[in-house]
Amino acid sequence: MSETKPQKPGPAPGDRAAIGITFGNSNSSIAVTVDDKAEVVANEDGDRQIPTILSYIDGEEYYGQQAKAFLVRNPKNTIAYFRDFLGKDFKSIDPTHNHASVHPQDVDGTVAFTVKDKAGEDDEPSTLPVSEVSTRYIRRLVTAASEYLGKKVTSAVITVPTNFTDKQKAALVAAANAADLEVLQLISEPVAAVLAYDARPEAEIKDKIVVVAELGGTRSDVAVVASRGGLYTILATAHDYEFAGAALDKILIDHFAKEFMKRHPGADPRENARSLAKLKLESEATKKALSIGNNASFSIESLSEGIDFASTINRLRYETIARNVLEGFNRLVESVVKKAGLDVLDVDEVILSGGTSHTPRIATNLGSIFPSSTTILAPATILTAINPSELLARGAALQASLIQEYEAEDIDQSIHAAVTTVPHITNAIGVVSVSESGDEVFVPVVLPDTAVPARRTVYVAAPKAGGDVLVKIAEGNTHIKVTKPEPKQAAKPNGNSKAAKVEDADDSDADESDFSEDEEDEEEKREKVWNIGATLAEAAIRGVKKGGKVEVTINVGADLGVTITTREVGAKGGVRGVL
Amino acid sequence: MAATLVSLPALPERWAAEKDFKSVGKLTKDSATQRTIEPVGPHFLAHARRARHKRTFSEDDR
Ligand SMILES: Nc1ncnc2c1ncn2[C@@H]1O[C@H](COP(=O)(O)OP(=O)(O)OP(=O)(O)O)[C@@H](O)[C@H]1O
Ligand SMILES: [Mg+2]
Repeated sequence: MSETKPQKPGPAPGDRAAIGITFGNSNSSIAVTVDDKAEVVANEDGDRQIPTILSYIDGEEYYGQQAKAFLVRNPKNTIAYFRDFLGKDFKSIDPTHNHASVHPQDVDGTVAFTVKDKAGEDDEPSTLPVSEVSTRYIRRLVTAASEYLGKKVTSAVITVPTNFTDKQKAALVAAANAADLEVLQLISEPVAAVLAYDARPEAEIKDKIVVVAELGGTRSDVAVVASRGGLYTILATAHDYEFAGAALDKILIDHFAKEFMKRHPGADPRENARSLAKLKLESEATKKALSIGNNASFSIESLSEGIDFASTINRLRYETIARNVLEGFNRLVESVVKKAGLDVLDVDEVILSGGTSHTPRIATNLGSIFPSSTTILAPATILTAINPSELLARGAALQASLIQEYEAEDIDQSIHAAVTTVPHITNAIGVVSVSESGDEVFVPVVLPDTAVPARRTVYVAAPKAGGDVLVKIAEGNTHIKVTKPEPKQAAKPNGNSKAAKVEDADDSDADESDFSEDEEDEEEKREKVWNIGATLAEAAIRGVKKGGKVEVTINVGADLGVTITTREVGAKGGVRGVL
Repeated sequence: MAATLVSLPALPERWAAEKDFKSVGKLTKDSATQRTIEPVGPHFLAHARRARHKRTFSEDDR
């Protein structure tokens, strides 16, 4: 890694067994590739989403789902929500999520956790730096993957959030190394998600703008990615620690705690640590059930003062009480699109990633802020969506399989800024055509935010009759054209447009009261329109046959030199020019 | 976009250029922004290969 300290030498490429890992605050996953297909692997407990938790009982170490269950009985020796503390000073961490497990503590300004991790009665508790906690946890992931593969896993690609600092990255690499794991590369989460989708056999590499919403347990991270010829450039990111899975759990915790108190006036179960831990686990399970079904049950043995509690909730009720949180995701996504200088109309795909992305309402809410031309890739909106909980690990595994045969030094050189930081054109370059009505129309060929060198080809029809045609190459950019609905008042006098008639018939008996409603009913129309900018070149293609087509290839070099080649499709020769 | 039927314009009567190509403008430094491509995926590997070979090329030439 260019930005981190050199690792100790890893195995030779031929001796590697490489996997993909996503290491989250709430859950982690491991993935392998088999015949170029990535799959997320279940650990020995059968879990593919492995809670990022360690717990110690009688000197025995538990991790994953088993450790999570110990949040009820053994919170004082259970370490959870620690990933974001790696490589951070104690004073800069947010311990909000650690109330119900071992609290992070300040050891010379760094973050540590004290647990009794040895069996002996007389053994003192250990104070473990967060790096050591991470190493122990990663070791468990590697062991699970090694068992699955039947050979020792040596190397991994690991995903990190886009706002992970160099210090955090270095700390993660060191923690992995200490677990005897070579880190081939750290890749950013949104790009791992895009790669997981682009690696599907049916995927075609298109130029597109993709929004990736990584919605987890304690944080939500959104990125706008320009995908250009299979190269990915992050245009903007946003991070939020309020609107995430835990906030949805909290809604259900409060809902059922209140219901419990209605039935059993007295103590608030949220005020007892153990009861609260039970509420939290069951709320999460109920929340997950509501992602699949319209009804879910909620039941806890001995919730408070020995009283059992059982209830149910339906999805509509849940969506109503959780409305504020659910709508928060929309605002987050809208803000990052804006930050990228784009409009929702510019977005081709929204990839929903992370556990919280299973929530149907989040996907449908997002669908309502984007135009119908935007594909929302989530289980609730598209049948072929990839499990959002698996995207990151899959992407990491795919990247691992791509680079595992390279020497570590080659990988480091390739990901160096000298190779990755390149000019991206700000305007589109395209061909000026004419519509049937004779208006000039810009046909984009190389889109804005394309990294150079780049080459793209389009095919444009010649006039029906054929003959000599002009290929005019220009820069272009877009604006959003807003058409306000025609006010009804104005439509009436000049009379009898069909639209007006239909509407009159519709609200026949509500003539005076519908004034304000109308404005809401008829939405303004928003479209993306290309403006034609400076001309770059003109070329002539002569004697095109009737019904012929012209091929135009634009090649932008690393030095921004532009080469244009154009010819009639199927004909020899053609014109070539350099700018 | 795809739905609108468009075609290239006919060549204006008096249009003439050497080898039928007229250079009118060019991209300048202001036409681009330095950004970072994510070093991920098969197409990036191809990009890196191109970029790195060119460097060793010019180094070899010296
Ligand atoms: N089917 C589901 N429906 C709704 N929420 C779910 C579902 N599955 C998991 N979640 C929620 O997703 C969150 C965990 O997300 P994920 O597994 O992506 O973790 P993470 O990336 O480690 O989280 P973070 O780092 O933000 O804490 C939890 O809040 C969990 O309850
Ligand atoms: Mg996450």
